Amino acid sequence: MFVARSIAADHKDLIHDVSYDFHGRRMATCSSDQSVKVWDKSESGEWHCTASWKTHSGSVWRVTWAHPEFGQVLASCSFDRTAAVWEEIVGESNDKQRGQSHWIKRTTLVDSRTSVTDVKFAPKHMGLMLTTCSADGVVRVYEAPDVMNLSQWSLQHEISCKLSCSCISWNPSSSRAHPPMIAVGSDDSNVMYGGKVQIYEYNDNTRKYAKAETLMTVTDAVHDIAFSPNLGRSFHVLAIATKDVRIFKLVPLRKESSSTGPTKFEVQIVAQFDNHNSQVWRVSWNITSTLLASSGDDGCVRLWKANYMDNWKCTGILKGDGSPVNGSSGQPGAMNTMVGSAVQTSQNEALPSVGRPELATDCLTALPSLGLTDTAALTPPPPSLPGPD
Amino acid sequence: MSGSKPDILWSPHHADRYVICDSELGLYRIGPVGSGETKAGALPLSVETAATLLAINSDTPYMKCVAWYPKHEPECLLAVGQANGRVVLTSLGQSHNSKCKELMGKEFVPKHARQCNTLAWNPVDSNWLAAGLDKHRADFSVLIWDISSKFSPEASVAAEKIRLSSGDTDSGLVVTKPLYELGQNDACLSLCWLPRDQKLLLAGMHRNLAIFDLRNTSQKTFVNTKAIQGVTVDPHFPDRVASFFEGQVAIWDLRKFEKPVLTLTEQPKPLTKVAWCPTRMGLLATLTRDSNIIRLYDMQHTPTPIGDETEPTIIERSVQPSNSLIGSFAWHPTSQNRMVVVSAANRVMTDFTVFERISLAWSSTTSLMWACGRHLYECAEGVGGEGTVEKDIATKMRQRAQSRYGHDTVQVWKNHLLAGGDDPQLKSLWYTLVPFPMQVSLMKQYTEDVEQKQQGSKQALVYSGIKNIVKSSSGTTENRRCWSGSDRQTDVPRFHSEERSLALRLCGWINRGPDINVEPFLRSLEGEGEWERAAAVALFNLDIRRAIQILNKGASAERGDLNLNVVAMALSGYTDEKSSLWREMCSSLRLQLKNPYLCVMFAFLTSEPGTYDGVLYESSVAVTDRVAFACMFLNDAQLPRYMEKLTSEMKEVGNLEGILLTGLTKDGVDLMESYVDRTGDVQTASFCMLKGSPGEVVKDPRVQCWIENYRNLLDAWRFWHKRAEFDIHRSKLDPSSKPLAQVFVSCNFCGKSISYSCSAMPHQGRGFSQYGVSGSPTKSKVTSCPGCRKPLPRCALCLMNMGTPVSNCPGTGKSDEKVDLTRENKLAQFNNWFTWCHNCRHGGHAGHILSWFRDHTECPVSACTCKCMQLDTTGNLVFLSRSQSD
Repeated sequence: MFVARSIAADHKDLIHDVSYDFHGRRMATCSSDQSVKVWDKSESGEWHCTASWKTHSGSVWRVTWAHPEFGQVLASCSFDRTAAVWEEIVGESNDKQRGQSHWIKRTTLVDSRTSVTDVKFAPKHMGLMLTTCSADGVVRVYEAPDVMNLSQWSLQHEISCKLSCSCISWNPSSSRAHPPMIAVGSDDSNVMYGGKVQIYEYNDNTRKYAKAETLMTVTDAVHDIAFSPNLGRSFHVLAIATKDVRIFKLVPLRKESSSTGPTKFEVQIVAQFDNHNSQVWRVSWNITSTLLASSGDDGCVRLWKANYMDNWKCTGILKGDGSPVNGSSGQPGAMNTMVGSAVQTSQNEALPSVGRPELATDCLTALPSLGLTDTAALTPPPPSLPGPD
Repeated sequence: MSGSKPDILWSPHHADRYVICDSELGLYRIGPVGSGETKAGALPLSVETAATLLAINSDTPYMKCVAWYPKHEPECLLAVGQANGRVVLTSLGQSHNSKCKELMGKEFVPKHARQCNTLAWNPVDSNWLAAGLDKHRADFSVLIWDISSKFSPEASVAAEKIRLSSGDTDSGLVVTKPLYELGQNDACLSLCWLPRDQKLLLAGMHRNLAIFDLRNTSQKTFVNTKAIQGVTVDPHFPDRVASFFEGQVAIWDLRKFEKPVLTLTEQPKPLTKVAWCPTRMGLLATLTRDSNIIRLYDMQHTPTPIGDETEPTIIERSVQPSNSLIGSFAWHPTSQNRMVVVSAANRVMTDFTVFERISLAWSSTTSLMWACGRHLYECAEGVGGEGTVEKDIATKMRQRAQSRYGHDTVQVWKNHLLAGGDDPQLKSLWYTLVPFPMQVSLMKQYTEDVEQKQQGSKQALVYSGIKNIVKSSSGTTENRRCWSGSDRQTDVPRFHSEERSLALRLCGWINRGPDINVEPFLRSLEGEGEWERAAAVALFNLDIRRAIQILNKGASAERGDLNLNVVAMALSGYTDEKSSLWREMCSSLRLQLKNPYLCVMFAFLTSEPGTYDGVLYESSVAVTDRVAFACMFLNDAQLPRYMEKLTSEMKEVGNLEGILLTGLTKDGVDLMESYVDRTGDVQTASFCMLKGSPGEVVKDPRVQCWIENYRNLLDAWRFWHKRAEFDIHRSKLDPSSKPLAQVFVSCNFCGKSISYSCSAMPHQGRGFSQYGVSGSPTKSKVTSCPGCRKPLPRCALCLMNMGTPVSNCPGTGKSDEKVDLTRENKLAQFNNWFTWCHNCRHGGHAGHILSWFRDHTECPVSACTCKCMQLDTTGNLVFLSRSQSD
């Protein structure tokens, strides 16, 4: 169903994020080499890098496009504790001929004291708004009051999430029935701190963001989070990349007209997949939110699709290097099943320790594995072994 | 030693060989699965690779540590440190090298027996082998042996050795005099040679890290620390060293050795191994005891200028090569990020590659881009391929938008063909919506009917659904008809009323007219080869003979199912005898029939009048047929109840066939909502609901939301023309959605719109025609404002007043201005249009301006340096497409 082809990226270090613009004709990548590259798709479908420039003084974690209504605008965030807004300007004519475009920095947002881990533009209908989240657990919402002047951004809201934030996602629904909503994921790995996904909703009366929901069942580190394109649906769908892929459905409960609090949701878990057999790194929805792609530490990209019964299934596996996957399994754990039944059982016993190694294996530490080496050290090899003579 | 603590060593020179040492040494070769080389006994390491055991060496008991000779020759020479402190040279595999033979079995014996903790070959002077030992009173704990040194003269020790070493009788192989003795009165736990200088040895001693310089053994540099285990030098940074203690890893910079530059977050369990990745900069893998994960630290050497302290970026992640507890691991020396992992028990090995974290994104046109490491990959939904896989709705909607799906307002039913014609629900939907255009005869009949009842009502044209129609049913008559072809009176009551006839018509069973005649419908079904359905409809009309005839026809048709004859035979045996064998068998065997229509036929024949649940609740029978059936056989009490039930069922699952029942009412919007929830098909929802009543249905916020989302989709796909077409279509059906004119050209002098005088005309769009925009050049020209009669501005290029038609070649016919004709024709209509730059306010005839900017970037007005065209993104598109066509 899907065929992969490689594109020469020419980044000098790991690429941390890829982002398409609204039309899917332009693309931005960011990397540990501190640069952002912009790519344009030619009529023949080839990608050409039309701009590459140093953006930050640290690894650039994420890059994202604003809606084209606001011009050709990018935002990036970095380990250097800043986020920046970039705008493409009409360059000198020789630039044009070289096929290069010119991007200039419109603003640097320096409010964070730690690494800025994610940056996202709010949905278009809210105006030109930008959100960042940082490792110190603060989500910041900025607004450009004048969309023609991208150098002025005012910090509108600061939401303190108490936990180190790794990712944010806006609810893209433009329906008036759905107030602005933002989901925040935390990569804090301590399961004792409870839910790692918090959902904040804008309250028109208090003009503040208030917590509407915490997904208490997600206790492991969350690496990525994505609201699905709503497309006029009556509910919201949230994909979460944690130790597995999870899809949650948030059904807004009918609100009494008098109540002013945040919307109450009925939270349903629609799907949970541990096929990656390891940490899941990213999740992404297609435009109709009918296909979900996830990537994991198994080096594979998996595609998920729901059937008419809303049952999600894996419809494709692609290897990170674009090569086809042999067979259907493609999981590093799968070959262990071939080793033998004895091994299999021992693996199964070891399974509960996957999530909480500090608990389950303490009993095993009691085995004096160190003691064995001690005894060997104390007793030198017997002076005369009964030899084969 | 204990067999429970295995270790792995990769061959320094053979990328496909490694040694596992637990109680014995095992040499393995790794190869692709199923290749000719790999034997049947190969152990699978991963999906693609397997290992073959090449050699086993169990000559050296009580192994504590092993080190592989770093030079090419002799290959497979290993130094084994034993629990009694001796170091034995051994080999794996048959090596015929004479030098190797000479070294094999050579033993290096310390003065006092104690455990040998670590071994390290000098990478440059490969004769030197450093051994780290436990403490023994005031003895030295770091011994450096020269493997080329001859046997020791002390024969007494050698003689004792003979008895100890198993299998070796050559006394010349025992060496007792080390080259250097270091670390007096101390214990050594780990060792490594520093690549900075071949004479420098870094040792993890009892409570400190020490650097011994062999050129001056009396001196050592040291730092007190607990982190003394597993010292290892970063192969990419010769000054960067990692060591550990319990659960904590310390990273040292040898240039400022006073304290660790970095300590990694403590892990809950004691570490057992720490190793730098030889193929990637700054990647450190760590393993703790009793764990099935390997924790990786990606140290990015990017000193941040802000702030005082410079801390490297550390990306921490853990990988899980397999489910079993890991005994040890070893990086592959050359393969990128690859390692072999051995389990703590049973020596289960796994070939494992640490993948870079992949980030990914979908484009609006359903292609997926992902970044893996430094590489980008794009992947588009392939055309063809596995035909069985249903296309995603996004792709479907794109294709449908291009095939003008939804735009056929004359023959509404054709829209399902535009949609691809393979979706039964869409087919049912668009056939249901047929009644709306008045061209269709059905509709005429229907609107007449409705108008008779709701005279002058606004809702006259809105389809309100069968559910509402039958609700208002009155004057139902009941009659009992006999089976045609048999004389016997049956007790099957059938119900008639005007509304029920209407419903039957809407279901497509009958045409207009007072009498119920299903014959045309049966014929059309026969024409489409739907034999079973036709037979069932005939049967429901109590024409058993016709049903049998249809089945026979079906059996004899091309590619017909011969089983239909059998069914016909079974039908012909129908008897209304309550306790007949036929009835009994039919009721039990009918459930085995695969075709739902055949199934309901027998259900109908065997059920009591009024209790047709077997027919009514057979969900694979089309809703139209079930509804029509209900309208015939359910009484006035049962019918609304059934309709209600069926409607809510349809609403629940979002089945578009249910629109037949709900119509385009609030109920219909509810149904469509669950359809959209299920499929995301806002396209169908938008087109369908636009046909509803503008006041009630179209104004529903949900409907507005679907329309907005669909327009947004079209925009994202850059189908601007389709979106414009949709807007036109929408404004026809819902005039209130028509946007007001957004742009006016106003006169410079009086400020009035120059199309002002034409505003009385019904179509605003025609306002510009008199300015030569769409008319022929001979048409009347207006070069002045209709309000104040002052002249319109001049075109910057031809210097004529606007409103003058464009001369064909303003540039006196330059040959290179010839553009392909189709393009020219497309633009011709716009050549006379007003156009101006929003930045510098200069402008003129669109045709002139366009041709000017083909060759120029700056504004045609002298002394104006505005790059008008480049300011516009669509202007850039014109250039892009042009440069590619050249």
